[in-house]
Amino acid sequence: MSRDERYDVVIIGGGPNGMTTAAYLSKCGLSVCVLEERVECGGACETVEPIPGVRIYPHAMLMYASPAPGFEQLELHKYGFRMVWNPEDMMRSLTAGNTTTQGVTRITEKDAMGFAKLGGLLGQPPFTRELMRATFWCPPHPPEVEVTDENTPYMQVYKKYQPDVCTPELRDWTMFELMDEFCESEPFKVTMAFAAWASGAAGHWEGVAIPALLSVQLLILPNTGKLSIPRGGLHGYFHAIHRCAVAHGAVVRTACPVEEIIVQDGRAMGVRLRETAAIGGRKIWANKAVIAAVDYKQTFLKMIGREHLDPSFIQKVKDISLKNGTLYVSTYHTRKPIQWNKKFKAMQESETGVAGPAKVASGGVYPSDSRELYYENVADCDARKSLPTLPPEKLMWFLTPSQAFNPTDCQGRYREGYISAAFEVNVPVPEYQIEGIDAQDKEKAKLDAYMRKAFSQALDGLEDENIIHLWSATGREVEFRNTGLIGGTWCGSRHCRDQSWTRRPMPELARYRTPIEGLYTCHQTTGHPGGLCLMAIPYNLMHILIEDSIAEPGKWWYPSPYYIPQKEKVSAIPR
Amino acid sequence: MTTDDIFGHMFQEFPENSEWDVVIIGAGPNGLMAAAYLAKAGLKVALVERRYEIGGGLATEEILYPCYSSNPHVIYHMMVDYMPVIKDFNLDGPSLLWIKPNAQTAMVFEDGKSLLLTQMIEDTKDSISKFSFKDAVNFGKVMRSWRRIVDEIVAPATYVPTMTPIEMSMALQKTKVGQEMLELIEQSPLDIINNTFENDRVRALMLYASCMWGLDPRETGIGFFVPLLLDRGMNKCYCYGGSHKFASAMGREIIKAGGLILEHAEVSKIIMQNRRAVGVELAEGRTLRSKVVMSTLDPHTTFLDLVGAQHMDKDFKALIDGWKYDKWSFYTLHVASEEPPRYKCDDPWINDAFMTIFGIESTEQLLAHWDNVVAGKIGANFGGHATCETLHDPHLSDKPSKHISFFQMHAPYEIQGGWEKKAKEMEEAVLAKWQKAAPNMKRENIIMTVHETPVDIETRFPNMRRGGIKHGDYKPIQLGSFRPNQECSSTKTPIEGLYVCGASTYPGGLVLGGPGYLGANKVAEDLGVKKWWKTTPEMDRYIKTYLT
Repeated sequence: MSRDERYDVVIIGGGPNGMTTAAYLSKCGLSVCVLEERVECGGACETVEPIPGVRIYPHAMLMYASPAPGFEQLELHKYGFRMVWNPEDMMRSLTAGNTTTQGVTRITEKDAMGFAKLGGLLGQPPFTRELMRATFWCPPHPPEVEVTDENTPYMQVYKKYQPDVCTPELRDWTMFELMDEFCESEPFKVTMAFAAWASGAAGHWEGVAIPALLSVQLLILPNTGKLSIPRGGLHGYFHAIHRCAVAHGAVVRTACPVEEIIVQDGRAMGVRLRETAAIGGRKIWANKAVIAAVDYKQTFLKMIGREHLDPSFIQKVKDISLKNGTLYVSTYHTRKPIQWNKKFKAMQESETGVAGPAKVASGGVYPSDSRELYYENVADCDARKSLPTLPPEKLMWFLTPSQAFNPTDCQGRYREGYISAAFEVNVPVPEYQIEGIDAQDKEKAKLDAYMRKAFSQALDGLEDENIIHLWSATGREVEFRNTGLIGGTWCGSRHCRDQSWTRRPMPELARYRTPIEGLYTCHQTTGHPGGLCLMAIPYNLMHILIEDSIAEPGKWWYPSPYYIPQKEKVSAIPR
Repeated sequence: MTTDDIFGHMFQEFPENSEWDVVIIGAGPNGLMAAAYLAKAGLKVALVERRYEIGGGLATEEILYPCYSSNPHVIYHMMVDYMPVIKDFNLDGPSLLWIKPNAQTAMVFEDGKSLLLTQMIEDTKDSISKFSFKDAVNFGKVMRSWRRIVDEIVAPATYVPTMTPIEMSMALQKTKVGQEMLELIEQSPLDIINNTFENDRVRALMLYASCMWGLDPRETGIGFFVPLLLDRGMNKCYCYGGSHKFASAMGREIIKAGGLILEHAEVSKIIMQNRRAVGVELAEGRTLRSKVVMSTLDPHTTFLDLVGAQHMDKDFKALIDGWKYDKWSFYTLHVASEEPPRYKCDDPWINDAFMTIFGIESTEQLLAHWDNVVAGKIGANFGGHATCETLHDPHLSDKPSKHISFFQMHAPYEIQGGWEKKAKEMEEAVLAKWQKAAPNMKRENIIMTVHETPVDIETRFPNMRRGGIKHGDYKPIQLGSFRPNQECSSTKTPIEGLYVCGASTYPGGLVLGGPGYLGANKVAEDLGVKKWWKTTPEMDRYIKTYLT
């Protein structure tokens, strides 16, 4: 019979956050056990081969994490981390233009310069990495510290390198306001705002202008200006993290769902596994900490007994808002490649530089005519109908950049046809749908047909007779697959000002600590900066675990230069 | 100007050129095993895999996307009781949990009658006695002898270097069990079954169970497979959490011992220098140089595609050219459904069975179906086996209370009309037949289907050429010391520094764990590395009795 086990740290959830934390903590010499409910670790960093030779990425597909200290601190290159470099550079993809109902509109010099300036490219020296790290790779300030322009990390970086960006309003602005100040053409601004919406912080939310813009820039600038991806996709990147953890002694158990976080006297003592869990011991005890690398609903509403949390806290947890919609992703397998139609010849021409198995259309936001159109889409998503009410010609969609541009990509060996880049559309989160949580699932065929009409406004090749397969998943299906992607949302709780930085997702949880002693959160829905598989939450959490004397890293550790230690705690800055 | 010019790369990548003691091509079960043993022996080992995931046939993947995972290749683990890797790495318990249902293989007939092979002999005898009391008694008797053949000879020999046929027959003469085995070798599976059992339905079940993995029922010289596959077919295990968990467990042992695994790393060539294999070059351009290269791929890929004919002498190349693939492969239909299949039959245990054969009513029909397959056809007389995976493993379905099953049947690689057209037709035929056997497998209960044809198998795993799951046919001249040929069956090849240890090397495929284990032993010996592992007591007994 399996027996109970004991570790220093028990981590619930083997997605990118849980595994990166496992790598950090096992590198600190702690004994660590990661418990994953699915048959394979990786969470949103996953690759699926639904039919032989056809690889799709259901969630994470693009590389945002490049500036992460984790590459260096965890030495991911030793564990096989490699990239597939896109032969196209940033300038080329940017200058292709933006797609509107009128055709392709060119990006102006002011647009490009504004973009470059905000991204730190025009500083002397360029300060992109420092800016990105300050914004995403720094734990929120402790509660006793008032957040000001002077101590906000990205403000400090701008002040140092590009002081004219800093204005008294910068921290209050929406991304649209920011773009109005630094850029010029409306389609460019709308495209950026929509891409930010898809990345988690929408263009119309107040007080998150810089994080929202930088979340889009993370895609482009740090990857040496190329929209490149790790070899093997984000799951390949995850493998390197996973192996770093295992190499340092972390124990990883798949098919081991956690039923309960065991709390005694207000302290997390360990976890109890679900009865069906594959081995490993029915109870797994933690000497030092339990880390919930799963969403806030599972952590506080399912795994911890109600008697351990007070009702006002429970209410706040229930009130965390997901109301930015969820991404509905479609990937097509077609006989002939999907291509931009005649009106968008300039877009198609920009693809010609792309090598690789499939010269299919990629990289566009359509229609990007105006922010009014953008707002109509936001309103429609907020209307909570499972099926959009906008006519298909008004639906905004995001066609992701290509993920297959390398001729040596050994997975792209489908026998016939072409695989499209992924299409993303914001749709209401299932739990907010007025027709019921399963409304979208029931209407999936209609939804797919509607989206196909919308995509066909700018693309050729989506006719019935050209389609071999379509893979799509509703928000609820996404959540069934990856429980932590609550409501199917990619970036978890809304990244509006009320739920970000020192208030992510609420002030009580902002520094990854919880009302339960010894229990920490480490998930995109519960911590700054949120999603995108950045290795940021684990890095930020490390500061807190050092403060609480749980982790004592070696010489390889360096904290964020903008980190402020909490009073009466051990500082995460090495002496 | 790109941002690269401005501030360079943000992070470091795995180097363009690296040096290793051992590079292993292919992270299937054998590659994983070889890498785990050698890495733990202190060698610097790199395991390179073409796919995005390790495991080869040890796959658990969401082929019914979204929400439903299946084990598209290996699901029936037959050698768990013997594989040294499990004990040597202490995988049982801490890492792996095996489910071994008593109800192993069921066969249901159109008239609602059924047969059941169980782990426990008496339960099988009870089932057989519904048809023939004499066969039930005979089954008990032969299994007594056949289990000894497996236990004392065939199973331990799987992990011991092979002998030539002459050495083998001399060795087997030494004991009564050995002599019994020699008698069997001479016969064809069909003869053995016909000589042992009288009832045709009992014969059909036994014939299916012993030949289902690709034995020619009329071929002589392979008779020892009958006791092996029947006995092991009554001891199949399911890897709880999916077969991939076995691969992951071995993968972690490699990493813990300091080894490297690279996925998405297709080898474009084995680097040759002064007639020696000195490393591999990847399609992406990176090179890994090493003292030893071990390939787990089929002989054609290893020698013709990666080494190149110019590095082989004429006779050796002729041996490689002569390698033959399986006569048949599989067509599999994977299904997500609202309910598990419920077969209409006279025995309630059938619905708990690990594997259920249906569509086969007689030996004549079974043989005719197999003859069809060999001739490139599938007629209306087809039959096959099905498993409901979620009966044994709730983790495969992301949605609660849904079920995942598959039906698998023998099928030709080249089919008349072509698979593109035929696959959809087959799906309809299979579902019709399945519904006949299990009435609740009707369309309205079926959520999703996906089929895998022999061509699909090859597309997913290019070295399962022609859809051959064992990388090459099981026939006397491709078995034992002839697998893949007399020059390479020890895993060492005539090319200095190059070893072969996949399913196409002795003892063969089906996740025996033999080739990888033997390859690791050979390389450890040749590199003068101390083996940290010991032979099992069963192997010791076998070596003492037959090899000394």
